Amino acid sequence: MEFNTGLVIDSFPLLLIGAGLTIEITAMSVGLGLIIGLFVGIARIGGNKILRLLANVYVDFFRGTPLLVQIFIVYFAVPVITGQRMDPFVAAVSACGINSGAYIAEIFRAGIESIEKGQMEAGRSLGLTWVQTMRYIIIPQAFKRVIPPLGNEFIALLKDSSLVSVIGFEELTRRGQLIIARTYGSLEIWLSVAVIYLAMTITISRFVAYLEKRYKIKEN
Amino acid sequence: MINIRGLHKYFGENHILKGIDLDIAEREVVVIIGPSGSGKSTLLRCMNYLEEPSEGAISVDGIVLDGEANVNKVRENVGMVFQRFNLFPHMTVLANIMLAPMKVKHIAASDAKQTAIDLLTRVGLADKADAYPDQLSGGQQQRVAIARALAMHPKVMLFDEPTSALDPEMVGEVLDVMRKLAKSGMTMAIVTHEMGFAREVGDRLLFVDDGRIIEQGPPKEIFENPKEERTKLFLSKVL
Ligand SMILES: Nc1ncnc2c1ncn2[C@@H]1O[C@H](COP(=O)(O)OP(=O)(O)OP(=O)(O)O)[C@@H](O)[C@H]1O
Ligand SMILES: [Mg+2]
Repeated sequence: MEFNTGLVIDSFPLLLIGAGLTIEITAMSVGLGLIIGLFVGIARIGGNKILRLLANVYVDFFRGTPLLVQIFIVYFAVPVITGQRMDPFVAAVSACGINSGAYIAEIFRAGIESIEKGQMEAGRSLGLTWVQTMRYIIIPQAFKRVIPPLGNEFIALLKDSSLVSVIGFEELTRRGQLIIARTYGSLEIWLSVAVIYLAMTITISRFVAYLEKRYKIKEN
Repeated sequence: MINIRGLHKYFGENHILKGIDLDIAEREVVVIIGPSGSGKSTLLRCMNYLEEPSEGAISVDGIVLDGEANVNKVRENVGMVFQRFNLFPHMTVLANIMLAPMKVKHIAASDAKQTAIDLLTRVGLADKADAYPDQLSGGQQQRVAIARALAMHPKVMLFDEPTSALDPEMVGEVLDVMRKLAKSGMTMAIVTHEMGFAREVGDRLLFVDDGRIIEQGPPKEIFENPKEERTKLFLSKVL
């Protein structure tokens, strides 16, 4: 067996471009997921029965089906209905964002429910509305508690984003496949790809640990 | 000030309040005592709709509590102090007190701050304005909680066992604040196990058992000469 170091060095710039795209879809998907997750998470504990039902269906569906199938639905099945071809990047971010929205909704719900009931009661007894109490009292406290699980979700999504290689979007995994198709350097390229993923996930978990420390909750 | 008619409360199958009629006059201090689980907290919490009555009518200062719109209006006039303080841990003492006046009554920050500082002075904690709740003792936290409720200029104050979570040496400082408040003419409903305080500050004492008001009257009379068997039994245990 021979390890072709030259191939690794030559391929690295291309792989890094792929890694940049991986970060881009992951960041945009998490951004989308955070927005969806906040509203869906709140809908799951809010008083409105219809919203709660819709939120439950959403969370159950997207947590209960494989992300790969969701990507296929967005990229191949939705165009059948709309009659429009879908851009792979848009499809990737939509599928990953909607998927992570379901997980993030659960993270927010658990975070909000972990705040002592007395906080909502104190807010309401002062004349604040439910929305105001959520906004000024509950969510700021819950936010600090959801940082660690959100970090985990970010890391999970970064890894799962490799699945969008199946629709031809040239993120890190797809770049690796393409280079191997050209050079047959499976060993060198897959190891390089793995190392780049690892570098990214370690960076994120360090950053999350830093945030966690910085926002260390003051609890009584 | 508060008028309650035919109040019933069920939690699922459990019948917790079984027909309460109660009128609290302006400037009156009503103290509520009774065994654990008798429904004292539930009664108090119905007065600001933290619990929704299953049956009956409640009005506060002439406004009938029935829907969300009224409820927020009424809550502006009803302060509540909890056993476990429930201060907002992510905000300074000052911010705790200023929040509701600014967000509910849209009072300017500078005015809200002045009011907050005045109230902190009144409860003896002017030097703690910038502290966070977890830097304060239980007694101090509860005094902040009282100041926070007073910042809305309520017409009635509800207290649910305000000293039960405190170390004994801190009970006095909280009761002092409440005593002064009563003297200043605040209308108050207080659930407490502090019998000495009940006797001293209460204009009227209610003994609640099993979801009903069993006996009521001037505290001295009830303590010295209870008429109902259940009251006698309860007092013999706590006095
Ligand atoms: N949210 C709730 N859901 C179900 N049951 C409840 C709820 N709140 C109170 N209860 C029940 O109602 C009964 C009366 O409760 P409440 O808190 O009013 O009693 P209390 O007189 O304040 O007692 P304590 O002196 O222990 O505070 C209890 O049996 C309690 O378990
Ligand atoms: Mg109670």
